[in-house]
Amino acid sequence: MKNRLYIAVGLALMAATPSCSKFIDYSPREDYQITADDYFKTADDYQKMLVGVYSPLQWLWAVPVIGDVASDNSVSGGENATDVLGLQQMDDYTTIPVNSYLTEIWRTCYEGINRANYLEENKNKLEFAAKDQVYAQAYFLRAYYYFELVRFFGDVPLFTERRLGVGDSKSLGRTPKAEVYAQIETDLRTAIATLPTTVNEPGRATKYAAQALLGKVLLYQGSTNPAKFDEAATVLEEVINGPFSLLPNFGNIFLASGENGPESVFEIQYSNNNPFYDWSNPGRGQGNFAVQHHGVRNLTGGSPYAQGWSVNLPTQELANAFDTDDTRKNVTILDIEAYSAANPQFNITYLVAPYKNTGLYNHKYHPRKGETSGQIELNYLNNNRVIRFADVLLMAAEANNRKASPNTAKAQDYLNRVRQRAFGDNDHNITATGAALTEAIWNERRLELAMEGDRFFDLVRTGRAAQEITGFVTGKHEVFPIPQEEVDVSELPQNPGY
Amino acid sequence: MKKVLRRVLLLWVGLLLAVFGFSQTKPVTGRVTDDKGNPVPNASVLVKGSTQGTSTDENGNFTLEVPASATTLTVSSLNFTEQEVRITGSILSVTLMPKSGQMDEVVVVGYGTQKVTKISGAIATVKEKEIEKLRPVRAEDAIQGRASGVTVISPGTPGAKPTVLIRGIPSYTGTDPVVIVDGSIQTLDDLNSIPPADIESINVLKDAATTSIYGVKGGNGVILVTTKSGRRNQKTEFAYNGNYGIQEVFSKIGVLNATEYGAIVNEGSVASGGDLIFPDLSVLGKGTDWQDQIFKRAPIQSHALTARGGSEKLTYFLSGSFLNQDGIVGGGDKSFFRRINATSNITYNLSSKLKFTANTSFVNIRGSGVPENSINGVISNALNFDPTTPIFNTNPNVYGRYATSPNILSEIFNPLTQLADTYNKSNTNKLYGKLELTYSPIKNLNLTSRYGYTYTNVVGKNFFPLAFYGAGHINSTLNADGTPRPGAHNSVSEYKNTYYNYTWENFASYNWQLNDVHNFDAVVGMSVAKITGNGLDASRQDVPFNSWEFADISAATGQAVNNGLGAGSFQYERRNLSYFGRLNYDYDNKYLVSFTARRDGSYAFGPDNKFANFYAGSLGWVVSNEAFFNSNLINHLKIRGSYGVTGNENVSPQFQRISNVVYSYGLGQNAGYTFGENATSIGATIASFRNDALGWEKQVQQNYGFDIAILNNKLSLSADYYQKNISGLLFNPTLSLYLGTAALPTANIGTTRTNGIDLNLNYNETIGKNFKINTYVNFTTAKNEVTETNNGLIAGGNYGIPGQQVTRFEKGFTPGYFFGYKTNGLFQNQAEVDAHSAQPGAQPGDIRFMDMNKDGQINADDRTQIGDPFPDFTMGWGLNLEYKGFDFTTFVYASVGNDIYRAYERNLAMTNKFRGVLGRWTGEGSTNDARYPRYSFVDGNNNTRASDRYVEDGSFIKIKDLQLGYTINSNWMKRIKVNRIRVYAQIKNALTFTKYSGYDPEISGGIFDTGIDRGVYPQARTWSAGIDVKF
Repeated sequence: MKNRLYIAVGLALMAATPSCSKFIDYSPREDYQITADDYFKTADDYQKMLVGVYSPLQWLWAVPVIGDVASDNSVSGGENATDVLGLQQMDDYTTIPVNSYLTEIWRTCYEGINRANYLEENKNKLEFAAKDQVYAQAYFLRAYYYFELVRFFGDVPLFTERRLGVGDSKSLGRTPKAEVYAQIETDLRTAIATLPTTVNEPGRATKYAAQALLGKVLLYQGSTNPAKFDEAATVLEEVINGPFSLLPNFGNIFLASGENGPESVFEIQYSNNNPFYDWSNPGRGQGNFAVQHHGVRNLTGGSPYAQGWSVNLPTQELANAFDTDDTRKNVTILDIEAYSAANPQFNITYLVAPYKNTGLYNHKYHPRKGETSGQIELNYLNNNRVIRFADVLLMAAEANNRKASPNTAKAQDYLNRVRQRAFGDNDHNITATGAALTEAIWNERRLELAMEGDRFFDLVRTGRAAQEITGFVTGKHEVFPIPQEEVDVSELPQNPGY
Repeated sequence: MKKVLRRVLLLWVGLLLAVFGFSQTKPVTGRVTDDKGNPVPNASVLVKGSTQGTSTDENGNFTLEVPASATTLTVSSLNFTEQEVRITGSILSVTLMPKSGQMDEVVVVGYGTQKVTKISGAIATVKEKEIEKLRPVRAEDAIQGRASGVTVISPGTPGAKPTVLIRGIPSYTGTDPVVIVDGSIQTLDDLNSIPPADIESINVLKDAATTSIYGVKGGNGVILVTTKSGRRNQKTEFAYNGNYGIQEVFSKIGVLNATEYGAIVNEGSVASGGDLIFPDLSVLGKGTDWQDQIFKRAPIQSHALTARGGSEKLTYFLSGSFLNQDGIVGGGDKSFFRRINATSNITYNLSSKLKFTANTSFVNIRGSGVPENSINGVISNALNFDPTTPIFNTNPNVYGRYATSPNILSEIFNPLTQLADTYNKSNTNKLYGKLELTYSPIKNLNLTSRYGYTYTNVVGKNFFPLAFYGAGHINSTLNADGTPRPGAHNSVSEYKNTYYNYTWENFASYNWQLNDVHNFDAVVGMSVAKITGNGLDASRQDVPFNSWEFADISAATGQAVNNGLGAGSFQYERRNLSYFGRLNYDYDNKYLVSFTARRDGSYAFGPDNKFANFYAGSLGWVVSNEAFFNSNLINHLKIRGSYGVTGNENVSPQFQRISNVVYSYGLGQNAGYTFGENATSIGATIASFRNDALGWEKQVQQNYGFDIAILNNKLSLSADYYQKNISGLLFNPTLSLYLGTAALPTANIGTTRTNGIDLNLNYNETIGKNFKINTYVNFTTAKNEVTETNNGLIAGGNYGIPGQQVTRFEKGFTPGYFFGYKTNGLFQNQAEVDAHSAQPGAQPGDIRFMDMNKDGQINADDRTQIGDPFPDFTMGWGLNLEYKGFDFTTFVYASVGNDIYRAYERNLAMTNKFRGVLGRWTGEGSTNDARYPRYSFVDGNNNTRASDRYVEDGSFIKIKDLQLGYTINSNWMKRIKVNRIRVYAQIKNALTFTKYSGYDPEISGGIFDTGIDRGVYPQARTWSAGIDVKF
């Protein structure tokens, strides 16, 4: 009996071995987790993945802020010298490679690229009706992300075939800017060939958005490769011949009601829809985090404006650049003291910006009451007007004036269309030609697009940054430093001077 | 699996049937005395080689039914040498000799017990007596400084888990050792539920020879907790312990009073080109010291009633206990820990061969906490809040009990308002224990099946009321008149989480002897373990009357779509399957050999890496047992060595997860997008990377040591040197940023090496007849070094706003070291600024940062090691004196070489400052101390960047325990049937000697957070008195 028992125990232990192995098998479905194996089986999967490629656009909220803070248009502001430190340093031209804003832009763009590449990687798994449309949008977005990278950082790692995996860490070097630009152009041209001219859902990439972006990309290369101006003029002409028009009232563009309007070529969409976003990852939600930054501190009273953090404050010099009868001045700049005095019925009180105060605020993207929900700082609905028709006209004017055989008439016409809307008359038309006309166009770009994040990049691409921006060092500040973490981990060479 | 269950079940039925046989018995009676003829109560009397036996009564008498075949009894008792007695016809008279030192003790090891003399591994033990005296809230407190090789960094928060490091920092994925309570696996978190009155001993297994039988769970060391059990044939002994004390904070941090604050703020404003903020300093006075307002004297009390005893067949230990600890931050309304325990440990001898044990403990824990150790914690707010603000609001037209500051308008709150608005509670019910059946078919063979379980149910609630911090304060959700701001809601959240863990182990142990000199002891078995958890949580806005009384989802009325009503859930499971075996051999108690093997399977790893084998072996030589060894000085000498492998599986399965949510809180990997005015489109994206190559973390440990006892065993020393090499370290790597934002996978990265020395020195002496001395010293060192990281480094230790990271895990450095700029005094004048490497924004009076790489620029590349949060060594010194009825105990704990990073300073223009700022640089030659640069609102030099100006030496010596007791022993007690009464007074954390400027240099946390003081909840000094009664 006893012996039999020992044998039974021994057998039981041995028998446990094979069948029990299953006990430690794991399937993610136990935890209701969807994995990559469950995807790319229906057209809807592809559509969902495409929406995912759009998402990181919203995380680029700081790009337009930097575009002005780093230029002569605005100062960083904030609560003190260490508040919004990364912006302070960009404003003061003391930027170092440890900069949370730059790191976020770098990572966000690469997340977008990886998401687009994941579609690319799975392109052949399924055929379905609107497949080419899905891919055209993905290419447009990939171009968009690479363009942000290249204008912020110069030479950057370039990859297009697939989503990177863990094994790809540290494997890439920096690809020369020209090659990145070439890839951007390729993607945009592929997108242009397929994208529709109109879309049901505002914010989706259109053929015109791709053409306008291509025009901008070409213009950015024009200073070193003038042939690009010809190409730019051609592709922008198609946009101008499209359905866009300038809104008669400049101010309406920046109201909630003006979003995705007749002047809008491409906008990054934000909303205050549910779900709302919390502080665990500010700036990575559906709301526009930049808007809260722009507000007057501790603002109270009956005005339509909400309080914020006094960041990205327009300079007096920018205010002075506007003609007195330019309708764009008050749309661009909120002079809170003047506004308060002019509207005593609002009983406005506010805290003078505690740091780098100019008394002026970014009116185009100032927080307005009722336009946010949930965690109020994070969920402003204001779309980022990335490319407006006015921008297209000015780009076309510049391309036409700077190409090998300038078309001065066209350049003047496009420029003056913008000015006529701004002044409400033809009295302010420009008749200059040649270099003077180019100067006039550049100046117009500043006024038309002020506080929309264009200025710094415009000054750099036209070689005027050193003369316009205090602290700008030629040969260094044309690009921002690559995030220190990336330099540490991936051993990428840093940009010169940082 | 099911099949196996059925098979084993059948087997059990078989076992049960087999034992219901009869065997003949005969009665044996006797008396046990010591060498002086005094009776020895509670001595264990066993039939040799079996578990059958009894224990003596108060007069040393025993009666026992033994099998007719039995010839020898084994008699043993604590503090006496075990003795074997032949069963003769008459009444047996047994004289036990006092134990020489602690050498004949038996300690609990994995799946069994072992005589101390036969152990060749490294084990530290803390006994009931020490634990009983200390009366810790958590059991770990009892091993701090008392078990060599263990570093415990205790937190101040009532009931919170400390950092426990057994022999350094072996792994990045967590340093918690595995906790085994009576053989069933629990976690360090569970140690908050075991009342000290239930604990018989705590053994800490340190080296591979002792831990490798726990294989993949053993990598961080093993804490074995043995709870008390009953005693055979003994009258019930009752014991009551009661203790009441008052806790208080033992130091304060020097911040500016209102006048000083006003003056400094004025200076900062003027220096940055602004106006005077407080034009008339004379009206400010001393203002409010917010630290005085938040720290309270708080009571702590504990009561335990236990009963133990047994009959021939049944033994029992029953206990009920209560503990209540109020917090010193905010007092018992907001911060407390309340525990109620009931334990029933019962063993029943179903037959002479079959024993059934059921240990069952129920615990209820209620608690509430305050925000702490973060930039918006209560303590941080108390230190940084405006001292010119009065305590109470005196304006009847303004909402709120406490005053608001016109100067502080964001992020920092009036700490009293914050405390008042903190509402949370949790209620944990836990049932844990084991069911065990041991069958001894033949002599010395035990077949054991054990089912250990822990069932935990946690229910909790948080209420976030609408709050008013000032009209201009950005976080106010109420207007000054108490009406809600537009869009503001209060909310209540509730959660119900359930955890169930079990370990089912079946093992056989057998010991045998050959030729009287070859002793074998073997154990072989298998174990199945499962850890599960699931929970549901929900929240709802609009609690009626903005009141905690109505804070419940059932009462809330929020209807806002999605946002007004939120719900979530989670579930997880971890599973392990293991086989193990151990063979101990000794030759005539002289030469010791032990070999352990374990094969572990874990659900966490991929199919290729499901199983791993762990082996360990040890050798020992008891020199003093050799015939040639003849020393009057040395009573005992043993030399030991071990080598073996353990592992770590603190990782979740790795797979490429798809996120199809609009927003994933925390990770920021959302995949939604809102096109125009449409509803948000839900997209999808890859949210995590996969790592197919993921394998087991392996730890190879060597241990060399010796035990020596001299002077008639009065003085004993155990010393160990160890070295651990860990490879395939599991952790989240820092990968190239261009991989995007998907969650990084756990990978086998890098190696670390830890070595150190554990020493335990013990001295016992009796002077004269009545004066007894026991003193001991424990010494622990651990030197950790990261020797390889395949994929870069990891940074952590976020603090402040904007967040800065100050700790790193990096090759060539100790894990979690502080990383930042080195300072070199202050710039005294412009010439010095100009002469120094380019440091943008620097002015005279600013900190001179060191150009570590000598490239002529001060930039991120110049950051370097600026400190180490882990101690070079820790020491515990205990002293117990007894004279007649009096006893005196003191315990001193020292930690040397641990640095602290001070991170509770908010450094905003209008926040309060630390007294050091009074000695700031005010002009050339005023000071060159880098901690005190010039003061200005505008900090162009970024003097507040992470640098060694915030690093302080956190070495300390703490008198942790100071106790004076008196044991009453008189005849009247006998009449009321009381055996023993002891009364005592105790001071915990009586004194702390440290250079650290904060409250408490003990700052616990994970590898990246230990030693960072973000406003940590300090430990309290406790004054208490108590009584122990046995009857």
